[in-house]
Amino acid sequence: MSIRWRSHLRIAFCAAGIALAACVAFSSWGCGKLLTTEPAPGERFDQPLEGLSNGELGDFQDGHTQFRKSFTINEGLGPIFNNVSCASCHSGDGRGRPENILVRFSRGTDLVPGEGGPQIQDKAVPGATAERLPAGVDVSYRLPPPVFGVGLIEAIPDSAIAANADPGDANGDGISGRVNWVTPAAYLPAGEAGAGPGPRAGRFGRKASVSALFQQVVEAYHQDMGITSTFHPTENVNPLGPAVAPGVDRAPEPEVPDNRINDVSQYMRMLAPPSPGEMTATRQRGQTLFAGARCVGCHVPVMHTGPHEIEALANRDVAIYSDLLLHDLGDALADNRPDGSADGHEWRTAPLWGMRIAREFLGGRLLLLHDGRAHSVDEAVRLHDGEAAAARDAYLAMPVADKAALVDFVESR
Amino acid sequence: MRKIPRSGVDRSGIEARGAACAVPISGAVRRVVRAGLVAVLALSWGTSIAGTTPAVSHPSIHRAATRAKPPAPVEPPDQTTAPAVLDYAPYHGSLESIAWGGHGELRFGYDRTAGVSDPSWFSVGRANGFFLARLGSRFRLGAQAAYDRGADDFVLERAELIGRVGRALDAHAGIFLAPLGRTNLDHDAPLYEFAERSLVATQLVGVPNAELGAGIRGFGNLDPTFPFTYEVDLVTGFDDGVIMGAAGGTRLPAGRNNYGDQNGVPAVAGRIALQPSVDTEIGFAAQSGPYNQTKVGGATVDHSRFVHLVVVDGETRAAGFQLAAEAGGALIDVPPALRALYAQRQWGASVEATRLLRAPLFHSWHGTSLSAGIRADKVDFDARIPGDSRSRLCASLNFRPHPAAVIRFGWYYEWRRDRFNNDTPMAGLTLTAASYF
Repeated sequence: MSIRWRSHLRIAFCAAGIALAACVAFSSWGCGKLLTTEPAPGERFDQPLEGLSNGELGDFQDGHTQFRKSFTINEGLGPIFNNVSCASCHSGDGRGRPENILVRFSRGTDLVPGEGGPQIQDKAVPGATAERLPAGVDVSYRLPPPVFGVGLIEAIPDSAIAANADPGDANGDGISGRVNWVTPAAYLPAGEAGAGPGPRAGRFGRKASVSALFQQVVEAYHQDMGITSTFHPTENVNPLGPAVAPGVDRAPEPEVPDNRINDVSQYMRMLAPPSPGEMTATRQRGQTLFAGARCVGCHVPVMHTGPHEIEALANRDVAIYSDLLLHDLGDALADNRPDGSADGHEWRTAPLWGMRIAREFLGGRLLLLHDGRAHSVDEAVRLHDGEAAAARDAYLAMPVADKAALVDFVESR
Repeated sequence: MRKIPRSGVDRSGIEARGAACAVPISGAVRRVVRAGLVAVLALSWGTSIAGTTPAVSHPSIHRAATRAKPPAPVEPPDQTTAPAVLDYAPYHGSLESIAWGGHGELRFGYDRTAGVSDPSWFSVGRANGFFLARLGSRFRLGAQAAYDRGADDFVLERAELIGRVGRALDAHAGIFLAPLGRTNLDHDAPLYEFAERSLVATQLVGVPNAELGAGIRGFGNLDPTFPFTYEVDLVTGFDDGVIMGAAGGTRLPAGRNNYGDQNGVPAVAGRIALQPSVDTEIGFAAQSGPYNQTKVGGATVDHSRFVHLVVVDGETRAAGFQLAAEAGGALIDVPPALRALYAQRQWGASVEATRLLRAPLFHSWHGTSLSAGIRADKVDFDARIPGDSRSRLCASLNFRPHPAAVIRFGWYYEWRRDRFNNDTPMAGLTLTAASYF
């Protein structure tokens, strides 16, 4: 064979190899392996609800971008702040980690704004002074909560939350949940869910001290990132530090436009809770035990949403495993710090969802309760007291296999 | 054996490649290529300064051509062609003593993040233009500006005056590419083997990183077969964008392209490149200087804080492969109130291997070649924590219809980890075309 023909043959082999590689790359298998795969529905915290319109999905994407946007100091971050973006606190849109824990403090019911209350901002831009915890204050450590499913929580009517309340324990079951009735922020736009003259049923935050998701977002921009908006046009500074020189804060107020706040609020509204795991026989038994131990007295399995402008949120059952009410959980969990009308022993019932994949976004650990001190469901249950004492004791009295089944059920949510 | 530069194509002499492949190259082609190379070398006014001198037009060609015989200067263009008026009014210019050119790169990509494709399928990778004017026998003025996809901005890469102090020493002042590793000095798209530059280059060093300053470039010999080159500059250094303009943590590229000093103290930058053999070069580069603004509105807000950056690069040839590596590390003095979020230590490294598969590609396609390359690289934005890093693997198959043009088919897979160490995979197929013009 001549050199020329051998050369052409070699080229033909090369071309065939490239063509084969291209076919593999563009096949579904190849695309998946070589070009990344989309996670299965329900396997992440940052996926949209099912049933959203195309326009709503567009809004979701806009908000997704803004939620992940890291602010620079030149863009207005600070002068004092906790973190640089929404996503920097909420790992994968789930709960935060100990390194991102927020420190709330007060002196009794006094939020001590003159001392930097109600939250420590422990980072500062050059020229500003970070806050330090004053002596002798009541302190509460709070892990940033998950942000998925908050639209569904918002869509639950006040009346539905109030329906489960039993502040005087009229039924004598030892559980006396009550609504944290709050006054919404005056800056909330008319028509915003949770807005109005009040009182409205608080539902967001570890002590249900906020009624409107929009307010939660505005406060997070201002308190956590030091980003001003038309709703909070004045910079947060350390009142105990030296005055901040002009020019230290590098961006004019407001540092984000209103539509940015709206984008992030809409994004969070449309975040779907991850789907629960498969209901095995063991989990079925665990579910029965969960109900039998009266855990469902607070962790109400299903709530029902009311009308909502986003169709996917309206009039549907939500497997939230929470009544969104305040309960006394005893001395061990008490932060002894009032928050609005919630006292130092009361906490909002935490929804039990996203548990199944929570470890993936927490470095392989579980961080439960308001400050992440419990690293397993078992540990969290053991720390319950107060109104939950009877349920805890029922759990502790179970045989090991039953405990395991109950834990397996909870961790599959 | 002659050195084959990192592109895998010996641009310093087509003859060598032709001989190796036992394929004759016509005399006409040889004459054209040689004439082109001489022109390019002439444009690289610091042609006697090997290695560290980023030539205006074809730095790799310049480097490759001068590496074999570094001390051998290429004579400057014939001065008789320059009109006398230039000696008195050089700013008027003259087509006869001004050279200009440029290169461009187009990128077609199918990029996906966690299975979701990016709608931006077409972009300009790089568009570059330069000119060089000779101002008398010892001075030259050069300028080069580029749009760079990595920087996502137009960057003035050169605007400098160069004076020849001696046969082996140039002095220069103005805006120039800081001597922070070979990629920053030599990143022309048509000469590159991959669609994307390495992470250590773009994310740590901040290629293209041009700064305002002045300094010297020169060369010497440890012995007749062991040349070295060097450059030492006083530059403006990084600015406070390292912290202030950085989204998500400390990022040196956010403080690059600093054409004005913020603190009145220059940074020192330098590089020395050793060439123990014709095929091998090892470079050591460093920059150190304050980056922050100490006064705002007349009030002192901080004391001077330094960035120290070290870059080591090397390339050699083994078993038919052109091997190259670049590594860098940075120490950043971050204000205490920001240290929980802004890194004080960063590092990155890349290793690549390329191989010339065939040249010419077809029997009669003189000047063409086919080469392939693979590269692994990583940058860790915060050495203190497990997350906040990027790692990438990429492969490329490159067809060169001409030594100064390339069509690349590439694939990459990247793992991006946030500060929580959550992984977001990214991958893509790219088709890029780049050429000088």
